Amino acid sequence: MIQQLFGYLGYYIPEIVCVVLMTSLLVAESTVKDEHANRGKIIGFALAGLTICLGFLFANLGEEPKIIFHNAITIDPFSTLIKIIMVMGTMGAIFLSYSSKDIYSNLKSEFAIMAVGVLIGGMLLASSNNMLTLYLGIETLSILSYVMSSFKRDESTSTEAGLKYALYGGLSAGVALFGMSHLYGALGSIQFGEMITKLPGLEGLNLAVVLISFVLFFVGIGYKISLFPFHMWTPDVYQGSPIPVTAFFAIVPKMAGLAALIRISMIFFSEVKILTVSWVGLMLAISALTMTVGNVTAIGQTSVKRLLAFSSIGHVGLMILGVVVLNDVGIRAILFYGIAYMFMTLIAFYVTSHLSDMYGNDSSEVFKGLIYKHPLMAIIMAGVLFSLAGMPPFSGFVAKFNIFSVIIEKKMYGIAIVAAINSVIALYYYVKLAKTMIFSQADGEVKVSGFTGGHQAVIVAMFIPVLLLGIFWEKVMILSGNATIFIK
Amino acid sequence: MNGILNWILWLPIIGMVGVILTPKAKENVIRLVTLVTTSITLLLSVLLYLKFDTSTPDMQFVVKVPWIAQFHINYFLGIDGITMLMTFLNALLFFICTLSSWTIHKNVKAYFALLLMLQSTVFGVFFSLDFFLFYVYWEVMLLPMFFLIGIWGGENREYAAIKFFLYTFFGSIFMLVGIIALYYATGKGPDSFNILAHQGGKFVNETVSIFGHTFSFEHIFFWFMFLGFAIKVPVFPFHTWLPHAHVQAPTAVSVILAGVLLKMGTYGFLRIAFPIFPKAAVDSSTIIAILGLISVIYGAFCAMAQDDVKKLVAYSSVSHMGFVMLGLSAMTTQGVNGAVLQMFNHGTSTAMMFLLIGILYERSHHRWIVKPDGSKGYGGLSTKLPKYTTVFIIGMFASLGLPGLSGFISEALIFLGIYQKFTTITVIAVVGLLIGAAYLLWMFKRMFFGEVNPETEDYEDMNAREVFYMLPLCICVIVFGIFPSPLLNVMKASVGHLVELMAKF
Repeated sequence: MIQQLFGYLGYYIPEIVCVVLMTSLLVAESTVKDEHANRGKIIGFALAGLTICLGFLFANLGEEPKIIFHNAITIDPFSTLIKIIMVMGTMGAIFLSYSSKDIYSNLKSEFAIMAVGVLIGGMLLASSNNMLTLYLGIETLSILSYVMSSFKRDESTSTEAGLKYALYGGLSAGVALFGMSHLYGALGSIQFGEMITKLPGLEGLNLAVVLISFVLFFVGIGYKISLFPFHMWTPDVYQGSPIPVTAFFAIVPKMAGLAALIRISMIFFSEVKILTVSWVGLMLAISALTMTVGNVTAIGQTSVKRLLAFSSIGHVGLMILGVVVLNDVGIRAILFYGIAYMFMTLIAFYVTSHLSDMYGNDSSEVFKGLIYKHPLMAIIMAGVLFSLAGMPPFSGFVAKFNIFSVIIEKKMYGIAIVAAINSVIALYYYVKLAKTMIFSQADGEVKVSGFTGGHQAVIVAMFIPVLLLGIFWEKVMILSGNATIFIK
Repeated sequence: MNGILNWILWLPIIGMVGVILTPKAKENVIRLVTLVTTSITLLLSVLLYLKFDTSTPDMQFVVKVPWIAQFHINYFLGIDGITMLMTFLNALLFFICTLSSWTIHKNVKAYFALLLMLQSTVFGVFFSLDFFLFYVYWEVMLLPMFFLIGIWGGENREYAAIKFFLYTFFGSIFMLVGIIALYYATGKGPDSFNILAHQGGKFVNETVSIFGHTFSFEHIFFWFMFLGFAIKVPVFPFHTWLPHAHVQAPTAVSVILAGVLLKMGTYGFLRIAFPIFPKAAVDSSTIIAILGLISVIYGAFCAMAQDDVKKLVAYSSVSHMGFVMLGLSAMTTQGVNGAVLQMFNHGTSTAMMFLLIGILYERSHHRWIVKPDGSKGYGGLSTKLPKYTTVFIIGMFASLGLPGLSGFISEALIFLGIYQKFTTITVIAVVGLLIGAAYLLWMFKRMFFGEVNPETEDYEDMNAREVFYMLPLCICVIVFGIFPSPLLNVMKASVGHLVELMAKF
């Protein structure tokens, strides 16, 4: 028994690395004397640890799917790829936190600790194989997130963000738990594998209970990935939180939530007809509403953080169309989208963070005439905005193309038209920001200061995938395609 | 010889890299690099014309390399007679635009880099025979255009640039849906992104269901594609972006926009919408003809009402492109020949008009025929600017379709082509010609005749550079007006092939 458990640990090395990293960061943070002087070392240590974790994840990518810890955890290529995206996103956010003035300098190492903690929760969520680990994942992810969003202690917006996040999060987690308990009641198990065997035999009241419970349970996940109508917290939390935290929220919890949503949908809803039909209908409606609400509301935003928050809602609305089709190509499309989205989001927040540090706010005014102040930054940001809008030759286009292609393969033309109109709306606000950067003259002769060679190298390095995945995307598409292997 | 399309396509990009690598202060070097690039491209396109085999409708100089093998997406280029003309037109106009852009002094480096990028993407649209590649070029083309209008444009440039961008993007996103639908309709096979393989009415019997209603596959996706291309042409009622874009854009960009970009729309009909959905195209030909007719008449009336001479020419483009749509809707040999010829001739004549307006604008810094306060903007130009007036007369008469100049032949062919099919429409469309003559002559009278406006006294006549770049266009307009067979011969086989294909439905 014990031996077997230790045997399982071999597959769990990435998570273990993260846990060890988190605890040693905690120790390091409390023992280092002059934290201000040594914060670079702490952050460097965090990044090094995550790189090791990334290495193990890449090594795991080719492994056969396995269920470990007595059905609690699945290690399959799907969860591994999601974890890779999350770890890279975390690294980007931690790196960003180093230079950001939004994170107080005595809190920089705390940011790294919390981020790694959230990452552990996300990893647990992505590979959960029963209701218990899933709930644990959601909660680990959430509780640390609440703290992160109120990092700017003496600013009311940040405190508001933390409180709002906690209230909404607590409520939705409660609702989800309520749903889960009914599922346990109706199906007699918390193991996904055992639960599905009971599904085909359901009828009458039991079926109704299961359907409603799934909807309740869905609230928890829908909240994490901010689907309509559970998206209300997103703009306020994104705006109130410090920018590195916002960048982090836009990637890690979203990817983890999407992973859970994909796993649940694929396991429970691809087999039994009545469940499939109702689930697909629900998801279609939610997807259409999510992207429309996200994109339409984004138009009027003047705060770039808020704009990116709404745009992320729009993107998730489009992404979950890959879930609606309930097949491998759909998952492949989401995974590709996730990879592309991570790089785009990181760059967008990176630029916003720097400008907002310089000017003290993040309104689109600070982007005015950026092309004259810092051409490289402006060109890359414009590229990212066009990529987010789904213009070729950037990766955002290929991501969008794949989502469109999976829904059209299923002949869902109606939603394709909705998505098409949405991408025009999205283009409008991205182009408006691009216009501010490039067409408007800068006020005064201010140059962007402090965006040194290191920053430029990082931003260029992150932009290369944005461009490359738009032109030579076959390799990554095959990688995503191989990562659709599941254990049911 | 097979690599020549690659060279034409990528040479502007090489030139762009050259421009980017040149230091910002060396503006003349930047201009020269651009000029050399566009001249070589022009020479290559002439070479292409000489090597072109006019006897076959097949694609020539084909390049086919797998790009994304998993999805059967290829880097697939090739040209036929119709594209040959467009290639030449594109190469010629960019060469001329480089010369006419000599007077640009704001961010010279970025301007010429974007201009070269635009040229490459336009070539890409015309050469692509793979749907995915076509779409990528179609969209990427918007980026340089957006920046060229938005940075170097007039006062209201931001609005114009965004409007242009959104309109085209709106059309093309529906086209994307159509492209993906075609991909699945052909079963994801090796040819599912091949434009040529889809042609010939292969989807006549397919149906689709949208929001619970069943439609014919052909009709739905014909209209999806129609939307994408009609916005580009632009056909009434999708034309509203055009006057803004033209008025705000710098001269060279207006020339490119009217000269080649609008042709991409009609080219889309010829290459994609018609041959792939022939049944739907034949069924909808009356609607297309009526929309074309409205464009002709409405565009002409709008042009007549303008006080801004550039806006006048912009609306005249709407009107002239309406003739192309009329010719296409006929689906007869003369009609389509006329339409393709009109695409080329409108490219040269409207380019002349925009260039001439640009030349005048550099002297007067306004474009009013009648200023908003009611006073005359120009007047009596003919006495002071003889060379300018001569060239203007040639351009204007080519534009209004005077026999002996290029516009006449194409319009005559179009009318010949549609008369039997849509007699009433033809008769009304002829009135469009009349209005066209009216607004052009009226404009000419107000600007060039009458008392000399004191403001125009010190205008200089065209200088050597301006004469030099107007010359090729004058030659085109006159020579192809008398002797159009070099153009007609090139496209004959391709047009014949298309008409034959359409005749089966």
